Amino acid sequence: MFLKKTALVVLIFSAIGTARAETLPVLVPITGFLSLEGTAQRNGAVMAVDMLGKELGLETEVTDTGTSPEGAVTALRRALGGAPSAAVASMLGTQMLAMIPVADRAGMPLLTVSGTAKITELGSGNVFRFFPGDSVVKVAHAKYAVEELGAKRPALLYQTTAYGQSGAAHLKKTLAELGAPLVFEEGIDISVKDMLPALTRMQAAEPDILLLHLHSGSTALVIRQARETGNPLPVVAGSAMHQPTTAALLNPEQLKGVCAESASSPVSEQSGPVADFTAAYRKHFGTEPDAFALAQYDGTAMLIAAKKAGAQSADDVRAWLAGNSYDGLAMTYKSDGKGNMAHDAVVVCYDGASRVPAIAKRYENVDGIR
Amino acid sequence: MTSLALAQILLNGLALGAAYALIALGFVIVINAVGAVNFAQGELVMAGGFLSIALAPFVGDAAGIPGLLLLPLVMALMGLFGIGFAHLAYFPLKNRPPVAVFVSTIAIGLVLQHLANAIFGAAPRAGPPLIAGDGPALGGLTLSLQQLAVLASAAILVSATGLFLGKTQTGRRMRAVAQDPEMAAAIGIRPARMIALSFALALALAGAAGLLLSNQFFVSPNDGGLFMLKAYIAVTIGGWGRLDGAVLGALLIGLFETLVAAFTSYLAAEALLYAMLLAMLAFRPGGLLPERTRSRV
Repeated sequence: MFLKKTALVVLIFSAIGTARAETLPVLVPITGFLSLEGTAQRNGAVMAVDMLGKELGLETEVTDTGTSPEGAVTALRRALGGAPSAAVASMLGTQMLAMIPVADRAGMPLLTVSGTAKITELGSGNVFRFFPGDSVVKVAHAKYAVEELGAKRPALLYQTTAYGQSGAAHLKKTLAELGAPLVFEEGIDISVKDMLPALTRMQAAEPDILLLHLHSGSTALVIRQARETGNPLPVVAGSAMHQPTTAALLNPEQLKGVCAESASSPVSEQSGPVADFTAAYRKHFGTEPDAFALAQYDGTAMLIAAKKAGAQSADDVRAWLAGNSYDGLAMTYKSDGKGNMAHDAVVVCYDGASRVPAIAKRYENVDGIR
Repeated sequence: MTSLALAQILLNGLALGAAYALIALGFVIVINAVGAVNFAQGELVMAGGFLSIALAPFVGDAAGIPGLLLLPLVMALMGLFGIGFAHLAYFPLKNRPPVAVFVSTIAIGLVLQHLANAIFGAAPRAGPPLIAGDGPALGGLTLSLQQLAVLASAAILVSATGLFLGKTQTGRRMRAVAQDPEMAAAIGIRPARMIALSFALALALAGAAGLLLSNQFFVSPNDGGLFMLKAYIAVTIGGWGRLDGAVLGALLIGLFETLVAAFTSYLAAEALLYAMLLAMLAFRPGGLLPERTRSRV
């Protein structure tokens, strides 16, 4: 009798434990060429769960997806075994494109900070993107160059990855609409180390501004080699430039005249909740946060808000994310019906004396979704 | 394109090619010594870069002491690691098919990559500047002191390696073991010692390349594959087993990449490089400087 009672109590408690606890899969590229950004994404998700999800018994399990689509799909399939109600999915566009059909078949929402436009254009109801897509940040990027800096003859260097080509297409379209079409463009492979050939040919086109849409290392290499060879053109770079680790590769004087678009710039905020986030992030990880970390923090915080509001299953979570707005630290998030949750952007600029940029302009509700 | 711009591009191409030459040299030394390809060579270059970043604060990087002072220390430490590398990746497997050594070097390369990721993080890092100060400007041509230091250091190291292997008794013993280990052992040379020394030399050169590249082009844990690929192409173009061929191949790659990219595009340069490699394999498989002695590969 005693044994039966004990077994029943153990069963009840374990059942309660199973119902309350959930492991959130964090499937991100920690190795490979996108590891810097992927690590920031992981950190943001982990920090949100650590700070906001403990009372729900929420935990994270981080899996490195590398940079191959197969790696991402394998990680997602394995994660599905735990029947989670959502997953933090890779910020790498090609990996997301491979993961979406798998998530659709399983009916599981994916929370991502991928910038690749196409991931929300496939008609999946399971994609929730908490980083402004190219239709937001590239509009801000182009507008700042043309309307604020007066560019009329822009040149563009972009990465040949899916990320780079997607952003380049949006930049070209917006610049043409603004009456400042590109006078030079070049795709650069991630492995290219010497940027001087592109810079030299670009000079022949006599541009008045240099736009970059490159990953971190390539961004720093272009700016450094441009400045070392006496190229004084103003630069408006992609979001990789605002990352503190990218700025650390350059001298403050090389950063003079350099601006960058981003969803947010945590290190630029001097007070308020974002500054508190930055301080907590530094304490947690010993590094500076970037916009990817903050966006993924906000995205995971929105998931936690959904669960606190009673969303338990994957269907509940998907419906809640699709139908509610959430005031995050960086901005207010609301789906546009396709899973694009972020609609604001900022442009930050360096003053040539410091590696910490200042926010030069905020672009709110760029695509008209609120 | 102005002649000034062309000169600047040539200088960049030479500096890149010189650093590739150090990588390719280490690659050839191991091939000659044991008849196996060291697929960790790229990760060893990356490790050399991160080692220099880790050591820089201890030798006064903050005080502005040039990174070139680190070069002997990085080479010595990587050389010591080379002896351990030989005992880990080669000696236990020397009587197995060569593929076993390939796999063991790949495994060590991956371990190094993940270790670097865990210790230094994923972000690209800049190594210590080789020389303090800005370079001279000659008629509008900006001579970067870093590039000049890379060129000079690589030239000295390549020459010293050639002299060491060609003119010293130890170098001659290493070459004797590479050509015929049984005969070398018969005349009193200890092949295991010479092979370990070959690994030490190869890793010391990889470490030097890592230090020289890390400031100008940054280094990240995932760079190994790129360096390995360049070394492989350089050796194929130059000629397997030939030290001078490796240097020639590396310089050609550096110049080819930058010049073709300057006149066409990076995509064209990359495609043409691999087309050139295919043509070389088809029409001159021995490379530009075919091996004159019996190959062990």
